[in-house]
Amino acid sequence: MGAHLGRRYLWDAEAEPDPLHMPSFPAQLGMPARQPRVMVASASQLADARVPLEQRDFCGHHLLRLLRCQRDNFPVPWGCHALRHAWDSCQHQDYVMRMKEFERERRLRLRQQRLRRR
Amino acid sequence: SEMSKDMLPGPYPRTPEERAAAAKKYNMRVEDYQPYPDDGLGYGDYPMLPNKSQYERDPWYQWDQPDMRHNWGEPMHWDFDMYIRNRVDTSPTVVPWHTMSKHFLLFLSIMLIMFGLGEIYPSYRPVGPKQYPFNDLYLERGGDPNKKPPAVIHYEI
Repeated sequence: MGAHLGRRYLWDAEAEPDPLHMPSFPAQLGMPARQPRVMVASASQLADARVPLEQRDFCGHHLLRLLRCQRDNFPVPWGCHALRHAWDSCQHQDYVMRMKEFERERRLRLRQQRLRRR
Repeated sequence: SEMSKDMLPGPYPRTPEERAAAAKKYNMRVEDYQPYPDDGLGYGDYPMLPNKSQYERDPWYQWDQPDMRHNWGEPMHWDFDMYIRNRVDTSPTVVPWHTMSKHFLLFLSIMLIMFGLGEIYPSYRPVGPKQYPFNDLYLERGGDPNKKPPAVIHYEI
């Protein structure tokens, strides 16, 4: 897990992505058929449910369904495993997308270095 | 208990006879008797005893007053009420002072250096930042609803 930190702080900071300034390349570079991410729940629905801001991401619709199910089944904690799994897997896909963004940024930076050296 | 006038503390002793009389008054030997230096602070001929608290006295000796660790007629320190066992304790530390201070300063400096390094070179996971909808939650984060927010589009990958 520390390989990227070692590369950034001890090796070459130009080739490693800086997570505070990402993405630094145009979104369509190298991937012309990219679709924008679709947000299913609306902002007013999330605001009505008083969801904390950190959780108002692209998995909000799963979270709303889960909260509704938990509220309906309270105090029994075992009624919403399927919805919980749906939300968790959505979050997991989101995290995998973040990892892919990081990797794309890294490869584009290396490519930029190679072009400069040529 | 009424005390006669000659039993109370008096002015600073200047002659050896006055010193002998003061030592006898305080139940001390003349060799041990040492008044406070006469610098006008008002101690008079009261003896200057070592600044040791009652904690440092032998706990197993049969004192006349065991809780105060004091014998009847023994000269009391000027700050005796401070040096009782409920209050100030001047016992020596188990570990020497310089060892304690060295260990503490070493620990403190190492911790501060490590925290400083953590600030300069932060640690993070190899992932991009989390993506939020609605122009990075422009309105939810207190953005002006009359102004047009900066367009932020996130793409699938």
